[in-house]
Amino acid sequence: MSALLSIEDLHIGIKRRKGAEEIVRGVTIEVQPGEKVGIVGESGSGKTLTMLSVLRLLASPPLSVLSGEVLLDGEDLARVDDKRLRAVRGGDIAMVYQDPMSSLNPLLRVGSQIEEALRAHGADMATAQARTRDVLLEVGLDDPERVRTSFPHQLSGGMIQRVMIAMALATSPRILIADEPTTALDVTIQRQILELVTSLQATTGMAVLWVTHDLGVVASLVDRVIVMYAGRIVETAPTEQLFTRPTHPYTKALLESLPGLETPHRAPLHQIGGTPPDPTRLSAGCPFRFRCPYKIAQCELEEPPLIDRGEGSFAACWRDPSEW
Amino acid sequence: MVDIVLRATNLVKVYGRRGRHPVYALNDVSLDLARGTTFGIVGESGCGKSTLARLLVGLEAPTAGQLEIDGDVMTLHERQHNKALARKIQLVFQDPFSSLDPRLSVEKALREVLRVHDLHRGHESERVAQLLAMVGLTGRFATRYPHELSGGQAQRVAIARALAVEPEVLVLDEPTSALDVSVRAEIVNLLVRIQDELNLSYVFVSHDLSMVRHLSDEIAVMYLGRIVEMGGYDQVLDHPLHPYTVVLGEAIPIPDPVRERARHVALRSEALESAPAITVGCPYAPRCPLVEPYCREVAPTLLDKIDGHFVSCHVAMREPIADVSRS
Repeated sequence: MSALLSIEDLHIGIKRRKGAEEIVRGVTIEVQPGEKVGIVGESGSGKTLTMLSVLRLLASPPLSVLSGEVLLDGEDLARVDDKRLRAVRGGDIAMVYQDPMSSLNPLLRVGSQIEEALRAHGADMATAQARTRDVLLEVGLDDPERVRTSFPHQLSGGMIQRVMIAMALATSPRILIADEPTTALDVTIQRQILELVTSLQATTGMAVLWVTHDLGVVASLVDRVIVMYAGRIVETAPTEQLFTRPTHPYTKALLESLPGLETPHRAPLHQIGGTPPDPTRLSAGCPFRFRCPYKIAQCELEEPPLIDRGEGSFAACWRDPSEW
Repeated sequence: MVDIVLRATNLVKVYGRRGRHPVYALNDVSLDLARGTTFGIVGESGCGKSTLARLLVGLEAPTAGQLEIDGDVMTLHERQHNKALARKIQLVFQDPFSSLDPRLSVEKALREVLRVHDLHRGHESERVAQLLAMVGLTGRFATRYPHELSGGQAQRVAIARALAVEPEVLVLDEPTSALDVSVRAEIVNLLVRIQDELNLSYVFVSHDLSMVRHLSDEIAVMYLGRIVEMGGYDQVLDHPLHPYTVVLGEAIPIPDPVRERARHVALRSEALESAPAITVGCPYAPRCPLVEPYCREVAPTLLDKIDGHFVSCHVAMREPIADVSRS
C-alpha cells in the first residue's frame, strides 16, 4: 500500500438500458512516488479515458466509471467532495493536454491564467505573481515578464506548451499526467519538452504519467511502459525490457513495424494486418487474436489475464514468448 | 542520362500583398525528380513543404519560377485547361476521411474521376475493380461509404482515386501521419509495391524522418521556405552537413532506450524560435550553433559539397566533411 496513485480494476463505459458498453475494461495501474510511467496505445485503446477518470474529468453523460476505484495515497477520489476534488486537481495531480492552444483562454493574458490557478490553491496575489515568474523561468522561458503579459496567440506552439507545463508545475503537484503533450509540436520542440520534463522530474521528484502513441517518446523518458489495446492493459514492463524482450505479440508487432536504421531501404515493413477492434463490440476471447500470428485454440475462448513473464514483464497472452 | 519526370526551377511563392509584410513561403526552390524514384521533403511546420506540394500539383500558381513535367513547361492556366496535363501529377492527402466525399460510395468516387477525365468509357466497372485490386482491397469495398472504412482502408481508396487517372507523379503529403501506428507499415508497403509495378515517381512530404529515410531515394531538408540540404537519403540523413539537419536528426526520439540514453541534446532557449524572419544573411543564423559573423551578412546558396550532396551553409562548405557531420 505504498503506491502514490493506484487505479484498481477500472471499468469505464456508456450505460445503456440493456447493460453497459464498456470502453475501458478493467485497468489496474500503480504509480510509486517519483516514478515515470508511459502509457502507449492507439486511438480508441482507452488510454486517455483512463487518465481523465483519475481527475473525474470524463464527459459524463454519456461516459461513466462503471466500477473500480482510483486511490490517491489511499484516498478514494470517487468519494471526495467538490472542495477536496478541486484541491486534488492541479494541487496533487496536474494534467497537460495534447492541444495546448485550446487549453488556454485566448482572451486572458498568460500570466493571469497561471496566477488564477495558484490563487485557486490559496496563494495571495503577490505570491502568485512571484511564483508565476519563477515557474516560467524554470520551464526555460527566458523572458518571463514578456510571456506573462502576452496573450496566447502571441506565443509559438512550443512556448505555449511550456506555459502549460509551467501552469501544471506551479502548485508543485506530486503527479503530472501528460496526455500526448508533444503530438501537435515539431520534433525539435518535442525534444526540448522531453528534456525539460526529464530535468524537472529529477529536481522535483514528482511522478510522471506520459500518455502517447509514439514508442520513441516512451523510450527516451520513462522507467516503465504500459501498453493498452482495446480497453485493456496487454503488457507492462520496465522500459528496456519492453523494447528488448516484448512479451505480448502486439508490442512485438508494433516495434517491428517501425523502420529502423537497420531496416533495408524500401524493404517491406512488418505489417500487423487488420485494424484495432471496437472495444464495445468484442466477443469472448483475446481481442488481439484476429491480428495475432501466434494464436492458439484457447485464444478464441478466453481473454487472457496479465501473466507474469519474469524480469518485471506482465503480458495478457496465453503463450510464453519462448513458444513464438 | 537520368530521366527527369518532374523539374521545379527557382520556385517562389509569396503570400500577402506587395509591400505589406510579404511572407516568402517558398524561396528559390529547385528540384529534379527522376522517373520511378522518390523525392522526400522534410522540415518542420512553416518550412514551406506543404506550399511546395500545393504548387507541384497545381492547387496554386507560383509567384515566380517554373514547373516542367516530362520536359513540357506546365503553367497553372494550362493545367486547368488541359486535362491530359493535369492528370500527370496527383495528390494524396494526410487525412483520407476529409479528402473523400462522405456521400459517395467507393465505386461512385472512383467512377466520378473516370467520368471527369473521360477514361475507360463503357468499362468503368472493370477499371474500378482493377483499381481496388491494385491497392489491395476486394470488390466488396466498392459499395462501402467512407464512414464504413478504417483509416488504412480509406487511405487505400484515396490512393486508388489518385491512380485512377494514370498519373506519372504522386505527391504524398504526410500519407501515414493520420493513421494508427499499427496500420502505417501496410500503407508504406503498398506505396513501395505500386511504385515498382507502375514505375511511378513520388514526392513524399513528411516530418517523419524514419519514414522518409525508408521510402526516399533523394531527400531535401527545408527551413523557412528554402532547401538547406539535398542529396541521396543516406548522404543527407546518415552524414548530414547542415547544422539544422543535425539538430533535426537528433531530435527524433528513437524506439530504443539504450540508444536514447546515450544521446544528449542540450536544452535550448525558446526565445529564439519566435525571432522575426530575417532578410539579410543566413535564415538559420539566429538558431545556429556554428554561426559566424559572416553568416549574418551574406546568405549562403545551395552548393554541391561532394558527389551531389548539396548544402546551403558557409561553415559546412568550408569545413572538411568529417568535422561537420560529427559536430
